[in-house]
Amino acid sequence: MFSEAWEGRAFALALLSNRLAKWNLDAFRHALERLSPTDYLDDGYFGRWLNGAELILTESAILAPEAIEARARNLRGEQTREPSNPLPVSLDYAPSAEGSLRTVDAQPAFAVGERVRAKDISRPGHSRLPRYVRSHVGVVDLVQPASVLPDTNAHFEGENPQYVYTVRFDSRDLWGADAEPFALTIELFESYLEKAA
Amino acid sequence: MTVPMDIEGPAAPPRSNGELVFAEPWESRAFAMAVALCDAGAFTWSEFQAALIARIGHHDETSSEWCYYSHWLGALQDVLDGQGTVPDDAVTARARELAQRPADHDHAHQHR
Amino acid sequence: MSESADRIPASLRTEALEQLLTERGLVDPKVLDTIITTYETYVGPLNGAKVVAKAWTDPSYRRWLLDDGTAAIRELGYLGVQTEHVVVVENSATSHHVVVCTLCSCYPWQLLGLPPSWYKSPVYRARIVREPREVLSEMGLELADDVQITVHDSTSEVRWLVLPERPAGTENLSEEQLVPLITREAMVGVAKVDAR
Repeated sequence: MFSEAWEGRAFALALLSNRLAKWNLDAFRHALERLSPTDYLDDGYFGRWLNGAELILTESAILAPEAIEARARNLRGEQTREPSNPLPVSLDYAPSAEGSLRTVDAQPAFAVGERVRAKDISRPGHSRLPRYVRSHVGVVDLVQPASVLPDTNAHFEGENPQYVYTVRFDSRDLWGADAEPFALTIELFESYLEKAA
Repeated sequence: MTVPMDIEGPAAPPRSNGELVFAEPWESRAFAMAVALCDAGAFTWSEFQAALIARIGHHDETSSEWCYYSHWLGALQDVLDGQGTVPDDAVTARARELAQRPADHDHAHQHR
Repeated sequence: MSESADRIPASLRTEALEQLLTERGLVDPKVLDTIITTYETYVGPLNGAKVVAKAWTDPSYRRWLLDDGTAAIRELGYLGVQTEHVVVVENSATSHHVVVCTLCSCYPWQLLGLPPSWYKSPVYRARIVREPREVLSEMGLELADDVQITVHDSTSEVRWLVLPERPAGTENLSEEQLVPLITREAMVGVAKVDAR
């Protein structure tokens, strides 16, 4: 897959730079999109990753803008003054690349205490709506922070961030009148729910 | 991450019912690879989790013998194969090579 | 993955995958070693036990924990991977909470470590949401008829932690002395804490 050893290292470096700068994968992809035409085209597929890494590191103020160029020159035997490391800029992102919590501008569609029905969604592909709650009516217990929607995010169809609701169901509604009496709560994404009477 | 603490003695982490975290060494490697790759940005946790849920869901329907980490490993391979990062064929081919090793081969040599 | 590939032992497939990823510069075996050590040794139910012991001995922390679990747990440094947003629920003489992830195995790693086998098993995942009282009884926990049971299915990034009842006979124990009593089972809700 990597035709030269440096390409493998460039790829790994790019992933590590991404992590170091606490960006998420989408931000990294976006960084690739913002490279100058020269940086994007001239060095090939993996050169792009390397240039993307450099972009992330300088934008995050982890490296000074001319640091890589200067170091490369010095490694070649030239005598270039390397810039000193800048103070890191702290980015206002969620703490981990794999985190799924997001903020959305819209207000939650449903309020605590509201009766909601879990839709009977059974399209192919990933979903976090278990079969046993589909079509059943419950009550919103809590409005949770917005999160990426796994159904689309998992299939690269976008994050679709939306509120998550803790919905409470009665066991008799889920399992019938003879079921043990208990309450069940489950977190459901806004697009799984509709208002119920 | 928490600060390092005593491994023995009263502050030692309780183990439930004497069960080890990983029953076999390969389970720990499979676990760590998924965590490390996600941490490095190779895939998002929701991508990996979707694959895991799909495998577990499929198992629940077919009721074959349950081995949690084999679903974990399968999910990891599903994601990496789907991306083209590490095709399943490459894993299969390498695993077959490893299977040809003599029985007394020193596994430590595989970890440089 | 083809069926024949599935028959190759998982240990060989794992080793092959690690080799390929290492050769491609995508993982470093030393980093993997560190992750394994972390979850085998440093991150475990002791963290959750410390949270519970503090709640038992500090009423204002208890209130904070129940009101805003994420903030109260962040204060102790226990947020992280698989523990980003936490809701804490308290068990009492009349109310009992128990946690599950029916879809896979979601669990608050930073508080309780990695989930035990029973938690991940198809049997627990399917049955605890249908007949919790029966399942808890089979696991050794008998609840009085008037105890209301609530089962929490973790289907998002929200993680649930049970604040167990403090057992009678522990009134004279310090926070540090309480910690070893508090088990992972009690913090998932399938057992109570014994005074021992």
